[in-house]
Amino acid sequence: MRQLLRLSHRACRIIGYFDPGGAKMSGDFTVGALAVLIGVAYSVQALRLPRAMIGNPWAPTYFPLGIGVIMTILGAALCLRNLHRRKPAEQAENQATQAHDKPAVDKEFPRLALCTIGLCILYAMIFSRLGFIVSTLLFLGAMLFLVNGKRGWLANILVSVVFTFGTWLTFERLLMIHLP
Amino acid sequence: MEIARNILYGLSVVVQPVNLLWLTFGCIMGSIVGMLPGIGPATGIALLLPMTFVLKPAAALIMMCAIYYGAMFGGSRCSILLNIPGDASSVVSCFDGYPMTLKGQAEAALAISALASFIGQMAAALAAMVAALPITRFALRFGPPEYFTLMVCALAATTSLAQDSLLKGFISLMLGLMITTIGIDLQSGVQRFVFGIPELQMGIEFVVVIIGLYAVTEILENYKTLSSTGDTPMQTKFGRIWVSKEQWRRSIGPILRQTPIGFLIGILPGTGGTIATMMAYNNEKQISKHPEEFGKGAIEGLAAPEAANNSCSIGAILPMITLGVPGSGTAAIMLGALMIAGLQPGPLLFQHHPEIAWGIIASMFVGAIVCLIVNLPLAGLLVRLLAIPPRIMYPLILAISFLGVYTAGFSTVDLYLLTIFGLLGYFMRKHEIPSAPLILAVVIGSPLEQSFRQSLMLSDGSLRIFARSGISVTLLALAVGSVVFPFASAWLRKRRQQPTAVSH
Repeated sequence: MRQLLRLSHRACRIIGYFDPGGAKMSGDFTVGALAVLIGVAYSVQALRLPRAMIGNPWAPTYFPLGIGVIMTILGAALCLRNLHRRKPAEQAENQATQAHDKPAVDKEFPRLALCTIGLCILYAMIFSRLGFIVSTLLFLGAMLFLVNGKRGWLANILVSVVFTFGTWLTFERLLMIHLP
Repeated sequence: MEIARNILYGLSVVVQPVNLLWLTFGCIMGSIVGMLPGIGPATGIALLLPMTFVLKPAAALIMMCAIYYGAMFGGSRCSILLNIPGDASSVVSCFDGYPMTLKGQAEAALAISALASFIGQMAAALAAMVAALPITRFALRFGPPEYFTLMVCALAATTSLAQDSLLKGFISLMLGLMITTIGIDLQSGVQRFVFGIPELQMGIEFVVVIIGLYAVTEILENYKTLSSTGDTPMQTKFGRIWVSKEQWRRSIGPILRQTPIGFLIGILPGTGGTIATMMAYNNEKQISKHPEEFGKGAIEGLAAPEAANNSCSIGAILPMITLGVPGSGTAAIMLGALMIAGLQPGPLLFQHHPEIAWGIIASMFVGAIVCLIVNLPLAGLLVRLLAIPPRIMYPLILAISFLGVYTAGFSTVDLYLLTIFGLLGYFMRKHEIPSAPLILAVVIGSPLEQSFRQSLMLSDGSLRIFARSGISVTLLALAVGSVVFPFASAWLRKRRQQPTAVSH
């Protein structure tokens, strides 16, 4: 057991030489674990791919399988790299520089980001059902009210209407591209 | 003589009224998107890319390049006037550009940045013109194994150089390669990773990936500082945008010195405008007689990186059109644009489609002139756009992204994918996973696999084919070297520092 630990410690140090920046973030272990997960799932899927009817039946499998395996190894290495944390002082220093580098995040950021993603998915859902004009008017209007606020209601409505009809006319009439 | 004939032919393509019109339009649009804060050239090109789909290949490519040049010219506007860099390579322009604005020299700063960009681009275009034919002649000897190793080399170098974490860079690279394996395999007709969604059979459009990863992610990222952007008051009234004789005399030396350096850095894979501009700035600071003025509004400190940035961006196009292997994220987007137009960049492009290959090279010259006109007399007009509040700009950019993605493939599935890639980009940014390797992999992943399998077919499945020719061995060695070198040297340094460290 102890030998195993020592081995992993040494492996971690060797990886460290090759990847000095890899242990900066606390979330890197998660990234590594995710990479392993994706790598394994992808490799399994690659092995289950249908065989080719012509030529070497395994030909379509080699390349994806290789990618999957390399991904798994990389993820494992990143996990291992973060398993044994660096000296606390060094880590504190890293975190200090990080805090210094990054500007403060707005309070409204989580709400904005989540609502934007939600609106994007809604837009994708209604795009072909309601057509370009209706869905874009709704989407752009909602986005503007979300980001620009209720106070700029006039500008919001004007911008959405002008943009929607402007692009529609450009695409349908000038470029002859049909939008739903 | 041959070069003169070719470039004249290229020029004759570019100055056709239709192409010239699109070139001018591209330069203006590029200058505008390059100017917007938080929207760099890569994002700008990605956003405007769908506009070129309706054009003929030659016009589309010329416009694409024009957008690129315009973005390079416009990138520093926001650094100079607002102290907000449009992208990483215009960070350096803030150092001396903004102090110049504070000193009331905004006109001179805008003028010298346009002039330096112009000279940098002209000189680099000359070099590209001379170098293009020899490179393509050499590359004609390449077979599938050489191409495979060349692409491996470009991927390895882009991932390892200039990256903080090698592991995360390669994870990003693998993710990109995974994305390219989705769809019907061209050689055997086998469906791979389609998950029963018929729209995925054709694979994922690379436009979706780049717009998602750049534009959508950029907007989510910019939300974080939404309340504080737009606070900086901006100068909107300008006098004549020009430089004095004295300022010109001080700048011309740095411009001419840093242009070749920028060009060489641009050709190397993995090293982009950020490194070129940083190096140019530091070089000039070191040899300057007044290094203490740097950072306080020294005009040399603005001229040198601006020239290097443009010559670097031209340098980056060269391997893309001559070899078909992009050296940076932005060049990868340009390569994607070529492939969407149904063209395969590389040495054969010069034989089969000389009008496009030479048209692109000639467009470098014409584009520089048009960009200079757009950015000198019209600069005062264009920078007014910087006054548009970001709160209105971001929703609009999002709507344009969706429109662009839809017109690229006419499929609603792409709209969902766009959102997913936006989220992926945000997650990657949050965990400091570089996105350039992913973009590069998405663009050249498919040719990479094809050349790999073609090589194996040639050799009956033996991997030894990659070690058969001197070219591919050299390229493989370069690939390994680019990965190992930075860390080997760090390791040696560490070793020397602690000679008594005993292993436990």
